[in-house]
Amino acid sequence: MTISRHRNPPEAPPTPAGAPVIIDLREVKKAYHSPAGDFWALKGISAQVHTGEFLGIVGRSGAGKSTLLNMISGVDSLTSGEVLVDGISIHAMDENQAALWRGRNLGVIYQSFQLMPMLSLLQNVLLPMDMSGMWRNGRSVTRARQLLDEVGLSDHIHKLPSAISGGQQQRVAIARALANDPPILLADEPTGRLDSGTADSIMKIFEQLVAGGKTIVMVTHDQSLASRMSRVLWLADGSLVQTRTEAMA
Amino acid sequence: MIRPRWQKVFADLIGNKTRSLLVILSIAVGLFAIGILETNHEIITADMLTGYHNTNPANITMQTSGISDDLLDTVRGMDGVDQAEHLRSFSLRAHTGTSQWLQMDLMAIPDYDDFEINTVSLMEGRFPPKRGEVVLEQSKMDDLNVALGDTLEVELPSGRSRELLVVGVVQVQTLGAVSGGGGFFVANPLGYVNPDDLGWLEQPNTNNRLVITVLGDNEDEIYIQTVAQEIRDDLKADGVTVNSAVIRKRSSHPTAVYVDAISQVLFALGALVVLLSSFLITNTLNALLTQQTQQIGILKLVGGRRWQVALIYLVLILVYGLVALAISIPLSARAAYVLLEYLAGQINVELQGYRVVPAAVYLQIAIAVIVPQLAGLVPVLQGTRIRVQQAFSGIREEDSLQQHGWLEQKLARLRGLPRPLLISLRNTFRRKGRLVLTLITLTLGGAIFIATINTRSSVDAYLTQLSHYFLADVNLSLEDPERIARVTKELSAVPGISLVEGWAGATGEIITASGAVADSAQVIGPPVDTQLMTPTLLEGRWLLPEDARAIVVNERFRDSLPGLQIGDSVTLRINGKETDWVVVGFLKMAGRSLDSMAYTSYDQLAHLTGSVRQARLFRIAADQPNRTLEEQSELARQVELAMRDAGYTVTEARAGLMVLDKTDDGLNVMTSFLLILSGLAAVVGSIGLAGTLSINVLERMREIGVMRAVGASNRDVIRMVLVEGLIIGLLSWLLSLVVAVPISKLLSDLISMAIFSTTSIFVYTLNGPLLWLGVVIVLSVISSLAPAISAARLTIREVLAYE
Repeated sequence: MTISRHRNPPEAPPTPAGAPVIIDLREVKKAYHSPAGDFWALKGISAQVHTGEFLGIVGRSGAGKSTLLNMISGVDSLTSGEVLVDGISIHAMDENQAALWRGRNLGVIYQSFQLMPMLSLLQNVLLPMDMSGMWRNGRSVTRARQLLDEVGLSDHIHKLPSAISGGQQQRVAIARALANDPPILLADEPTGRLDSGTADSIMKIFEQLVAGGKTIVMVTHDQSLASRMSRVLWLADGSLVQTRTEAMA
Repeated sequence: MIRPRWQKVFADLIGNKTRSLLVILSIAVGLFAIGILETNHEIITADMLTGYHNTNPANITMQTSGISDDLLDTVRGMDGVDQAEHLRSFSLRAHTGTSQWLQMDLMAIPDYDDFEINTVSLMEGRFPPKRGEVVLEQSKMDDLNVALGDTLEVELPSGRSRELLVVGVVQVQTLGAVSGGGGFFVANPLGYVNPDDLGWLEQPNTNNRLVITVLGDNEDEIYIQTVAQEIRDDLKADGVTVNSAVIRKRSSHPTAVYVDAISQVLFALGALVVLLSSFLITNTLNALLTQQTQQIGILKLVGGRRWQVALIYLVLILVYGLVALAISIPLSARAAYVLLEYLAGQINVELQGYRVVPAAVYLQIAIAVIVPQLAGLVPVLQGTRIRVQQAFSGIREEDSLQQHGWLEQKLARLRGLPRPLLISLRNTFRRKGRLVLTLITLTLGGAIFIATINTRSSVDAYLTQLSHYFLADVNLSLEDPERIARVTKELSAVPGISLVEGWAGATGEIITASGAVADSAQVIGPPVDTQLMTPTLLEGRWLLPEDARAIVVNERFRDSLPGLQIGDSVTLRINGKETDWVVVGFLKMAGRSLDSMAYTSYDQLAHLTGSVRQARLFRIAADQPNRTLEEQSELARQVELAMRDAGYTVTEARAGLMVLDKTDDGLNVMTSFLLILSGLAAVVGSIGLAGTLSINVLERMREIGVMRAVGASNRDVIRMVLVEGLIIGLLSWLLSLVVAVPISKLLSDLISMAIFSTTSIFVYTLNGPLLWLGVVIVLSVISSLAPAISAARLTIREVLAYE
């Protein structure tokens, strides 16, 4: 895996042997415009993520971590640069193409869970299959039940999100992210709202998923979690400042 | 298993009942109004025709000196005649209570069993009457103050009285068919008696009325005129005098003019209500989509394309529409019938039974399916355009780029107002798009309400104008012409009388250039300097003392001779003698709702009828102005007593306002109907107001949570929301005052053209705006307060998490 900084790229850390690049960020810049002037949230990020990595993006609040994740998921637009995911330039697609592609190839998990409040847990997990054309009647339901079982919620599948705890809601969000069996999971502060015990259980699920071959990119401001990731990118003021190797040095 | 997207539709529908109810109500009120309007329009038009056709109405009604059975057979054999019948028609005075007498018309039909023209429907009791009995027409029974089983006292020409037992009540749809458009309303009470009673009632045993239906095109007035002319010529040759001949198309119900007017108003109001409903739906759906922004983000996050997301909401809208439809179809059909029964009674139409009108159902289905989709399309397309990131963060880049406009800067500089009021003011104008949509909806609702009230006043203004023709307090009719000077002297003994005018009067016929009769006309001859009438002229001038054979005519007279201009010469047949008259003015009276009328000077008409210095008609003014109907009736009673004591035969002594009161009945149908429609507009507008303001508050739940989190008390929050609701309500009220102007003009003109054949007298009354202001204030408070209180009841956490 190669990590580069916009102006003064740090030395490249070792990458998993033989693993192909699955996410390629090339000079990614993002500016927000306001009457007060432009604010550059990302100032030219270049980085690569390899298949099977559990990559952490760490930094303080406002560093640009979530913006970077949004660039990878394609839910926000680029100002300049390019993002290739599995060889596909996602920002070259129109909004509808990007949504379909995202539904099939990415699982996205947010700190605030982003579950549909009026749908049961089972229906929330079924939603990506329905919306991205992967609906297979009985098989979809079986898979959703299986995923909820894997995250320990098989007894609650017909409940509404409001009827379960925050930790359980995050598990549902993970199950939903896995609905279409995407190779990549993106998680934005997934443990941010959870107590340490629950956060640990979520991290364990992620570790199991990585062990099962998934690639996970996770944004966190919690440096203690960094040690559980295969590699960490440190962001400050919209720029990459160091990798975990540099931080340790 | 149901797919999650459709499950969401279902959950949205039942999960948030308040919101769903508001959306469904927004759609349902529009559908309900349309359902009522269309059902009324269809049924009243169709049933009026069907019911009227069923009575086999006469195309020609001739009042003659008498038609023998042989002559009737001759008429039956004439070209163009389908059926012909004869009967005795006469008038007597009926006793209606203590010293009150009312002129009523009676008919004696030689053979009730075989009489097939102008048939009647038995409502109660039995028909035909036996000797000593009378069957009364239902709509004027109240005037006679009798009921089934009562006895009716009638005064005979000799002054003696007879009692008739009321044995039946009938509906006579042809009532008023022998006079103008509003004939039904000005018609006297009507009764049917046994022909063997004619002698007993001091009537000659001759049949003086001839009723005829024509063969061929009975909808062609000119053709019917031709047939009538041939009959008239034939009768004349046989020595029969034809006093008047009335031509009527088979479909020309006596109150058709009013039905036309009502239909026009219904159509215009229907279009306005659909427009209002569309704005209501757009507004409501806009709010709904704003509330659902985050969910739209989630749907797009997990692979939903824009059209898929849009489809979910369009299906939801469709379901809302279908639920609204399921409510509105049966409800509007029922409500329409309640309205119809009232209306039918008022305009003497026989309803053909309760039924659901397919056109009304189809229209509601089409509107329920199409209008919400069209109205929702813009909010749905706008709402689903949002990017996932913007949906989650709640910040749109275009919003963050917005500069403060002129209004915001002004509001920011406002000083001296309480802080909560300032916040409410700024909040009101913060989301201009939403505000504009809300204001359009509320303004339209208010404007329609105000306009219907104005339209009612406009019709009333017509009546006021008409009252200037009836300034006399008592109208006295005598059996024979009497010397004016003598009558005036007799009446000077009656206390409370200041002025007596003798008027000449005659029934005539308008003769066309080809010699045919265009219409019957009342020819009235007041003194040229009359003080008991103030005519309103559309064109030309009033009569002058130096005029020779000059007439001033009303709208219907003008209609009967197309192309008639000031200065034209017109031939009138009066007492069988044809004379030419010059038209010097056109009067503005009550359009097609009155008979053809021509005013000329007393001198001219009296000279023509051979009754110089004599009169049968006297107009009497009281010494105190503005007498009530009751006071006038009392004076009329005294006049009658005095005249009888002096040995005169009084045909009628009637309060001046009574004439107007009768005409008023016809217009009252319109005004009451308009009042009902304004109520309907108020309901639609009110639900719009309540719904829109409630949704505005619901939309701001999160903001309310933030305010409470930073220390605002529940009272502060409620006050702020309340003031904002009031500001929006009052702004819409102000705007509706302006928008009501063109709508009032449109509705008033539609009615006026239909009834009076002229543009309306535009009236903008304060009643509408004041009533609507009350509605706006009450509803603004209620509809803002309820959601604000429920928001205040929630914990801050719940409010912040509110979806």
